[in-house]
Amino acid sequence: MKNQELIDYLASCGVCRVCQLRYLKARGNEYRNMQQTFQRLDVKVEETDIKTPEDESDEQPPKKQRLAICSTCLGLFSDEFQSQLIEAISKSDFANYDSEGIVLAITLPLTLQLRQLSMWLALQRKFGKSTFNDNCAPDVPIKEAVKLILHPIVCSKLGKEYDANGLMINIDVRHSVETEEVAKLTELNRAAFPGKKRIEISRGLLEKQYQPARIKAELFEKYLAIPPAAVEDPLQLQSIDLMGPIVCVAGRYRKLSRELSHTPWVLQGKRIMEESIEEIIVQQVAPHFSDTLDKVTFMSSGREDVDVRCLGKGRPFVLEIMNARRSSLSRQEAHQMELAVDRSGKVSIHNLQVVPREELTHIKTGEEQKRKYYRALCVLNEPVTLDILKRLQISESFIIQQKTPIRVLHRRPLHTRPRSIYSVKTCVSRENRRLLIIDVVSQAGTYIKELVHGEFGRTTPSISSIIGKPIDILALDVVGIDLDWPADVNNAEVEVE
Amino acid sequence: MPPIEAGLAEEDPFAPYYFQHEEQKICGELVSSITDCYTADYPSVVDRFFTRYYYIKGGAPYQVLYHSNRICLICLAPTHPAFSEGIASVSYDVGNIDRSQNVVKGKAKKGGMILQADTTLALLTTETGTVYKIPSCIRGKLVEVNNALQTDAKQLQQAPEGAGYFAILLPKIENCDDIKANLLSQQQFEEQLKNVET
Repeated sequence: MKNQELIDYLASCGVCRVCQLRYLKARGNEYRNMQQTFQRLDVKVEETDIKTPEDESDEQPPKKQRLAICSTCLGLFSDEFQSQLIEAISKSDFANYDSEGIVLAITLPLTLQLRQLSMWLALQRKFGKSTFNDNCAPDVPIKEAVKLILHPIVCSKLGKEYDANGLMINIDVRHSVETEEVAKLTELNRAAFPGKKRIEISRGLLEKQYQPARIKAELFEKYLAIPPAAVEDPLQLQSIDLMGPIVCVAGRYRKLSRELSHTPWVLQGKRIMEESIEEIIVQQVAPHFSDTLDKVTFMSSGREDVDVRCLGKGRPFVLEIMNARRSSLSRQEAHQMELAVDRSGKVSIHNLQVVPREELTHIKTGEEQKRKYYRALCVLNEPVTLDILKRLQISESFIIQQKTPIRVLHRRPLHTRPRSIYSVKTCVSRENRRLLIIDVVSQAGTYIKELVHGEFGRTTPSISSIIGKPIDILALDVVGIDLDWPADVNNAEVEVE
Repeated sequence: MPPIEAGLAEEDPFAPYYFQHEEQKICGELVSSITDCYTADYPSVVDRFFTRYYYIKGGAPYQVLYHSNRICLICLAPTHPAFSEGIASVSYDVGNIDRSQNVVKGKAKKGGMILQADTTLALLTTETGTVYKIPSCIRGKLVEVNNALQTDAKQLQQAPEGAGYFAILLPKIENCDDIKANLLSQQQFEEQLKNVET
């Protein structure tokens, strides 16, 4: 079979030039200059119905005679559909998204898939199964062609770039023959796969079962035409729906209040505390990116108890903002947010910046390996002795066995976990020798309060068991988290021009 | 170690260990020193998180430390006669079953033995040879027994409050009000002690 024969046959079936190229398995930019591609593939076509790149200028002559609608793509790749699509996108909320990258997600009628099978069967009939076998589709699938043809055109017209993670433009496309042809397909399905009860007609079913190897042409033809029948109407744009990209904003937070929970604290439908770290940060940062604050996820590298402060460099956190309208953040804007959070007087954030989503792994993985630095204020029943002070200077790491603390045992499984304590350093208050200030470096996931008093012997060894005396903890501060992420940025530093 | 210099014989040996607060500014304010959190009347762990209840069986008093999250620690009341008789041993093998073989799985503590208030939880033998059947005191699921008591029961004698717990039990949420109503409160228990004395 020569390419020319194939193209002539396709043309006789009412297949458009773009789809003819699909059946020549054209790749990538071969669709851009179709005339050239046809020439290279040794196919002669009438010049008039092929556009050349120059034709694409804005002042196109008012439509040449309207071409018949392609029986395989139903006009999906026609100039008319493209301009209709561009117009519809421009009319949508599109301008309110600043994303540089876009991605099209087109929902196409099922009939396009049926028509592909019909044409496959037609080609087998015409040129034989040796040329068009059962297992290898004769065309570049429409889904792929959308990526190769529609994407570049839409991107260049809208002045954007293709980005699978960019603004998603969901396009719902319908066609007038869909209902009728799906009804026929339902009948065909019953005949082709008898015995199977009630099968939902779906895209997946079509992709899996509807191939020449499984459906005989003779059976198919009883319900649907081979080659696919001509249509009168073009595809209809049903709706355009925009979904902004996911933007990740990272930073470090510090917490000054001993009466502030990490996330909203709700018990039996009632709020225990008015505010939370999550809410204070989200309220100041997220509105810049999105209107819907409920689609924001707050994550951090661990968390501290309500009554624990987080000082030092602070704890890394990240906000994952869905459907973001804006995807960038200037240093000045970031600084304004930092100042706004500072005004809470309870939480402070810094190093605020937009980060690539891949970097979230820093927060999520290796959690157990991270070192955490704590400072605990502890009290003895009697003044400390030099001996106790010396015993609580530990520079060699040791392992403790820690049972799930009673305070969380009602909602967590009972386990005994080994945890590494890397070092212990102890000071005493000059004013009150019963008061110890203990600096602990431990593996993430260690319960420090229980490490101090031993929780009735459920954590062993504990500070209490090491000194052989009761000791209690009055206050705890997180003073460091060993994770060098996100990068340091000084947003307060204003760039001078 | 502090450097020992001539003429400074009275140097404070604690000097190298004195705490020095480092200044830091957050939210435009100086961060207060952690030592500011000290209060002289700081309540104990038990006082902070638990309510004391009592249960009397066979004339001997037992203590239930009821956590604010409904977890219960079953202990001897301080006035239990075993303390004066001297504690010799504790066993979780109560005859037909060994409670130390209790295994719980998951958040719901699946597989934990279901105990009633007067079910025997453990056996305590005193130096005088008396065997006390320690009751479960409440209706609930056995989460954990105190294995340390099996190997060294004598520690019970001086254990700080709570550390001599026999077991941790988790009652059902819907039973909690009933359970509390069936136990003696601290006040009721003290009144009863007075009545016994008079």
